[in-house]
Amino acid sequence: MKAQYETAWADIVSGLTQWEVWSRLGWQEVKRRYRRTVLGPFWATLSIGMFIGGMAWIWAPLFKTDVSSYLPFLAAGLVTWAFTTAMITEGCATYTAGSGVITQLNFPYSVLNFTVVWRNIIVFFHNVLIVIAVVIALKVRVSWETLLLIPGILIVAVNGAWMTMLLGIIGTRFRDIPPLIGNLVQILMFVTPVFWLPGQLGGGHRVITFNFMYHLIEVMRAPMLGSVPSMLNYQVTIAGAIVGWLITFELYARFRRRIPYWL
Amino acid sequence: MASVVVDNVTIDFPIYGSTHRSLRQTLFARTGGLIRREGHRHKRVVVRALDKISFQLDHGDRLGLIGHNGAGKSTLLKALAGVYWPDFGSIRIEGRISPLFVSAPGLDLEDSGYENIKTCGMFLGMNSDEIERKAPEIAEFCELGEYLELPVRTYSAGMITRLCFAIATSIDPDILLLDEGLAAGDARFAARAEDRMQALIQRTRILVLASHSDALIKGMCNKGALMEKGRILAIGPVKDILAQYHQHNVEHAAARA
Repeated sequence: MKAQYETAWADIVSGLTQWEVWSRLGWQEVKRRYRRTVLGPFWATLSIGMFIGGMAWIWAPLFKTDVSSYLPFLAAGLVTWAFTTAMITEGCATYTAGSGVITQLNFPYSVLNFTVVWRNIIVFFHNVLIVIAVVIALKVRVSWETLLLIPGILIVAVNGAWMTMLLGIIGTRFRDIPPLIGNLVQILMFVTPVFWLPGQLGGGHRVITFNFMYHLIEVMRAPMLGSVPSMLNYQVTIAGAIVGWLITFELYARFRRRIPYWL
Repeated sequence: MASVVVDNVTIDFPIYGSTHRSLRQTLFARTGGLIRREGHRHKRVVVRALDKISFQLDHGDRLGLIGHNGAGKSTLLKALAGVYWPDFGSIRIEGRISPLFVSAPGLDLEDSGYENIKTCGMFLGMNSDEIERKAPEIAEFCELGEYLELPVRTYSAGMITRLCFAIATSIDPDILLLDEGLAAGDARFAARAEDRMQALIQRTRILVLASHSDALIKGMCNKGALMEKGRILAIGPVKDILAQYHQHNVEHAAARA
């Protein structure tokens, strides 16, 4: 078992150091979305944008909130939600999508995980234009706190990386998992304050406090809205990264060498 | 110094049916009841692909794996490549090992020829400096000229073959693993490809080649290993092993008649 821990560790470390490979693969996949289309990946941006526009128009009166405060909240939240959940749903297929190379070569599979994370960071920077547009249009106060978005992205990406690895392993072995996760993510969207404001449920409601997704969203959303995420947000997400990576590492050490057999 | 030491290697493939791979069965397997009715499905099917394989290769050894379909040749190559970890036994490799099974791993039809040279090169273990250095030579050899700027999906099958061949044969391995020869396209290109292939083999220290072609094995190898049902029946000078293989076939045919 010691050798397996060493293999898993070496895989993750050399996967990280091969940033040239995963950054290239990530870019390459985004570039493919541009091919022969005018908007390319901005089609996803446009569809989120239109969705936000429509929602704000209907939901703001429904929630009896002011559009000028609801719209930035919704835009920042949805864009972050799309980033986080894309890593979860695409993560399930990390190794099945990479079966062409996994069954031919011995290389650090974690490269494929970092590719998924990096690709989604690139897509996020496309989508973030919606937030910028809203912020400019509604003259939302931008402050130094906005810079906290950068550590926010980092925290979410580190969490996203273990999620793609954990779900990648499970999703390769059990082919029911990817569609199951897809369903769960949809349900999570309604129990996480993305469409509705956390305050509407009354501050410390369990659905919010114990919802890991809420904390993940908040470390990116709050800075975009010019405020500081709470201490609890940081504690939960950083603890989540540590615990998540520990569990994932254990699982990766145990099953890394089984992955080609499962494909 | 390059060497390969294979010691008592056994590989089992679990076969997952369309139903077995679902979580449902594993969950219900513990609760009983439902699974009992599906008992025949629950049986774990395992195929033993390699059975207690042992051999050693040193500098200058060029081993040809000979045997029928399903004898375990490709599985052995993939085990050497580190794709499949053996359930039992061990494989020790010294030197840079390059498997060429599909000739261009990571090839994407939407990307241009140049982009694929980079991506495939990376998967073949080259760093970007190395690729940068070799790209002109790859481009020149495959003779695709300006086509390299176009997406690979616009290429003819022969042009894709040329590109893959040129990329695959640009590597500098200590140990080279080949599954059949690499396809090389039309007659004129095939002649040049032959030279390039020989040059690649000349600069590798150890070669392991699986093939059904006597000519290919004779031309490239000095050692042979006869495989059947996941075992090595005999290993020795290539001529003797090929002779044994053909005698083996004759005996089989006689037994069947």
